Amino acid sequence: MNRKRLGAVIDGTYNGGLTVRLDSGTTTEQLRIGDFVVVEGQRNLYFSLISDIHLKATDPRLLTGPPRDASPFIAQTLAGTSIYATVEVRPMLMLEKAGESRDLLAQEKRGGPQPVRTIPMHFAELREANELDFATVFGKEGKLNFAMGMPLTMDIPICLSLDRFVERSNGIFGQSGTGKSFLARLIISGVIKSKAAVNLIFDMHDEYSFDKQTEDGHWVKGLRQIFGSKVLIYSLDEKMGRRTGRNVDVTLKIGLNQMEEADIVLLSEELNLRKTAEATIGLLRDAFRGQWLLKLLEMTPEELEAFCRGSGAHPASMASLQRNLKRLRRKDYIVNEASFSALDDMVEALDRGKHVILQFGRHNTVLDYVLVSNLVTRRVRQRYEDKMRRYEETQAVADQPRPLMITIEEAHKFLNPAVARQTTFGTIAREMRKYNVTLMVIDQRPSSIDPEVMSQLGTRVSGKLTEERDIDAVLTGVSRRSALRGALASLDTRQQILIMGHAVPMPIVMRTRQYDEAFYRAMGARFVTPQDAEKDIRDLFGDQ
Amino acid sequence: MPLKLEPISRQVDSMAQEIVDLSPAQEQFLEQARARLRSVSADALRQKLAQQRRQQIRIPWLVATPRGSLSGTTPAPSPPSDFCVIGSDASSIPPDRHSSIRYYVLNVGYALLTYGSHPDALLEATGQLCFRDEDLYVFSDKRDVPIQGVRLGARMEVESLRILQQVVGTVSRPTLALCDGPLILWTLQNETKKVRQAMLHAFLEAMALLRQAGVPLAGYISYTNARDVANSLRVWLCHTRPNEECERCDSDDRDLCLALAKIRDRDLFAFLAAGERSELFSSSSQILEEYGEHRADFFYLNVGGEIARIEVPQWVGSDAELLDFLHAAIYDQCRRSPCFPPYPPALLEAHEQAVITAAERRLVEEMVERALGQLGRRVVRSAKDDSKRRRGV
Amino acid sequence: MKTTRIGEIIETMSTGFVAQSFKLNRPPPLGSLVLVRLPAETAESSASMDLYAVVTYGRTVGLDPSRRAVRRSTDTVFDQAIYQEHPELNRTLRTEFGAMLVGFAADGLVQQHLPSQPPPLHFSVQETPIEEVRRFTHRLHYLRLLLMDSGEVSPLQVLAANVRQVYHQRGHDRVWLDAAAREIATLLKNDHQALLTVLYAIDPAESRPRLEDGRTTHLLGGGEQI
Repeated sequence: MNRKRLGAVIDGTYNGGLTVRLDSGTTTEQLRIGDFVVVEGQRNLYFSLISDIHLKATDPRLLTGPPRDASPFIAQTLAGTSIYATVEVRPMLMLEKAGESRDLLAQEKRGGPQPVRTIPMHFAELREANELDFATVFGKEGKLNFAMGMPLTMDIPICLSLDRFVERSNGIFGQSGTGKSFLARLIISGVIKSKAAVNLIFDMHDEYSFDKQTEDGHWVKGLRQIFGSKVLIYSLDEKMGRRTGRNVDVTLKIGLNQMEEADIVLLSEELNLRKTAEATIGLLRDAFRGQWLLKLLEMTPEELEAFCRGSGAHPASMASLQRNLKRLRRKDYIVNEASFSALDDMVEALDRGKHVILQFGRHNTVLDYVLVSNLVTRRVRQRYEDKMRRYEETQAVADQPRPLMITIEEAHKFLNPAVARQTTFGTIAREMRKYNVTLMVIDQRPSSIDPEVMSQLGTRVSGKLTEERDIDAVLTGVSRRSALRGALASLDTRQQILIMGHAVPMPIVMRTRQYDEAFYRAMGARFVTPQDAEKDIRDLFGDQ
Repeated sequence: MPLKLEPISRQVDSMAQEIVDLSPAQEQFLEQARARLRSVSADALRQKLAQQRRQQIRIPWLVATPRGSLSGTTPAPSPPSDFCVIGSDASSIPPDRHSSIRYYVLNVGYALLTYGSHPDALLEATGQLCFRDEDLYVFSDKRDVPIQGVRLGARMEVESLRILQQVVGTVSRPTLALCDGPLILWTLQNETKKVRQAMLHAFLEAMALLRQAGVPLAGYISYTNARDVANSLRVWLCHTRPNEECERCDSDDRDLCLALAKIRDRDLFAFLAAGERSELFSSSSQILEEYGEHRADFFYLNVGGEIARIEVPQWVGSDAELLDFLHAAIYDQCRRSPCFPPYPPALLEAHEQAVITAAERRLVEEMVERALGQLGRRVVRSAKDDSKRRRGV
Repeated sequence: MKTTRIGEIIETMSTGFVAQSFKLNRPPPLGSLVLVRLPAETAESSASMDLYAVVTYGRTVGLDPSRRAVRRSTDTVFDQAIYQEHPELNRTLRTEFGAMLVGFAADGLVQQHLPSQPPPLHFSVQETPIEEVRRFTHRLHYLRLLLMDSGEVSPLQVLAANVRQVYHQRGHDRVWLDAAAREIATLLKNDHQALLTVLYAIDPAESRPRLEDGRTTHLLGGGEQI
């Protein structure tokens, strides 16, 4: 096999990993933490990651007095013999060797790479991975195998298994500036193209729909431009809908009647509510049921007083509550009464295979984002629950709801330990696709996310993280954590990620695919003409 | 029993003291003696000595009759550009008195050194086991005079000379034959005439062959204790008969005469400069009567560190060319010597070739015992020897 | 094959031998590879065998061990002239050299371990022809045998001398030198000072004359890599 040999195994334990002594011709500088490498034992190949690098000397006295007048000849002789380097290598998968020919077909018959159950003996060779190795482990680019990126030093596609990706909720992490939204775009594009699931994206910063200028100054396409009528744009902001070339399909209004107690409590911080708010709301609900919010906002001071007397609510709390909640009413997109039909229609569109991006336009405060996302998602999930129940009864294929992936940013707002139990997102995360709904959470502070939720995330895609807490958080529940810590901390700020979890056979460091013309073409992008837009609207709304 | 060193040590101290006390006095007399050498007329001395011989006055010492003058010197000539020197030496394992088997071993070594345009060296030794009657006895038929002790020594001298003569045949350049030790075999003096003649026969034969070959022969004696010339001076000084009532002698020269009794020729001739030789002297050793034409004279030579005594046959002494070559070659040899005082390398190497180590001696004994043992015969040793070897308590 | 006999074995044992050199004062170079050819009858198998050994010391002494050399030079006679002046020296001195067995060739195969028999006494020792040096030194296992010598000359110096010799005989084969250096680094990995001793002694740059400003000149010819 034409893999470049790097060294040989000299020590190791099953639990701790293998120690490989580098050959004299191999310098530490050609290897990186997190590199994908292959150890060849007598019977198995071990697909592994480099987790640490050490410098050693055979005679410690050498280190106390390095030869001062060492010629190049002496330096070159000492390198790799008296002074040498070892790398710690963690096997992640193993594959039985079967003779010399190792084509993929034969492997598939054998069943492909397995979890590691043993370790190789001394002097097993460590080699660079080649194209065949990547293909063996990650599969070839194909329908549901989405090329996410390439190894740091090679031009071989590393694939993400999209069907496995959407089987669970997932997370995209990385400190700010690491391009999380680009990663999201890549993955969502892949999901759209492969039809692995339908997408609902809560686009807080208007990044996903249309052209956007990047930090470097060049323009990248939005999902609507790539996928045309497959993608529906909803917006909270009326004014946005009137701009040409950036057509919004539906403008959404949220009614006060649609808001539930939980929605308000979730916004305690943003609305500056007192601790007593929850109790106060409870009293209101008891009295007014579904109209409680409307009623509260319309109460005169006298009515407030009266109510307090009647229910035993504290007047100051009530007044404060009313005051804070009035902010909601001032929002353009909030009306007293709104029908759920808009949302239900959205769900139907999703079920027909459309993808929805909800833009926030001017209304992109955290308050707006959290309120609307949570509310909308609750409704969506409810509808999905209903559909799923019916499917279970009828068992008709047509009734099976399409897998839905909901993308949210600033995930810690919804999923921090304090509120994780109360948000729909927390529920969805815990339910694990019970109703065919999963999340893709995007966040730069994974340590703020509830650990239980984190452990439910099947696949984690992470850019560079430097905070220990964040690294710990991302690695929650991941086996062989120690090998990956170093990899996470050593990623380049841009374009290098570590993917681990359900959608990849083993954790892998890679540089991400470029989101560029070639990508658009690969995704089947086409020009969106006005006629197409017309067609889309008709598609959406029928012939009304 | 172990040697008691205490008394010896005290005696050593006295001896040292005596020597030191004598030295200044000795020096003075030595100067006087040298003055006499210079002043005495050689002719007059020759006459006096001849007269005493005629009168059959017995001189109890060996005296030297000068051939030329007493104090004459000759500087060393240059040796020729190409020449050879052969030195020889012999050693033996003497017959073992305590053994029932009679034999002895002779080892004769020689060194043939070539100097000049093609320097070369040939170093050899021949060993011989002597067990037959002709080796063990002077007269093999009578078997009454065993070859041992002094006679064995003489035999060794003979063999040394014979080998010189044998090797000389192979050489073409001018060659000096050098013997270690005297040519005058005075040790044979006390033997019967028949024995003397028998032993000298081969010796003189070898000398004759050397003469025939035109090869000068010399006996080299280092650190000689001879007093021949000193004794001659005493005879000169003596008014009466030598050695009669010397203590009561009233001559002015009495002290000088008594001092001369202790002075050695090598001290006397210390005036010789490096490379210089004295004139020839004839020895009064009786054994020389048997030498015929090969009668040996002697001279003293400063070899550059000591005064050596060189003995040469008359046919060398009377041939100016041969004598000059011999003188030049001997001095050249000593010049090449790395030791101090110098010693001719030809003799040194010959000695190294000839020497028999104690280990080799034991080996020979073992060989003999084994050979006899294989034939069933045991070697019986004397009781004394046995006790010496075993040294039990 | 042209043979160059350079000495005769005067002591022999399983690990090596001592030979008397034919030329006085000129033993074979330290570290050089010498050869004893054993024809079929004398070899352990029924085929002929060539034994290879590395020269570990050279010595000139008196033939008779009890005779020590004395000073012979004068103001006018010194060095080589001493041997003209004292021709007996050529007969009373001998030059001997010791060599350590490092392998043998039999049936076309080269082995780098001790043969089962020492070479016979009085057999000739020869210079090893260059092609055989190349063939033998193709493998480097023999180097570890050299480190086990416990003679008067430090085995490190013998090893370095051998490497320099072979490097030169192989036409300054740098690839071989680098491989030998690495092998030695592995053998001496626990004794850094010993390793440096050898490396300094075999460093090819060290043997080049230095210019005044510290640069080294590049010697031309002989397949040297610039």
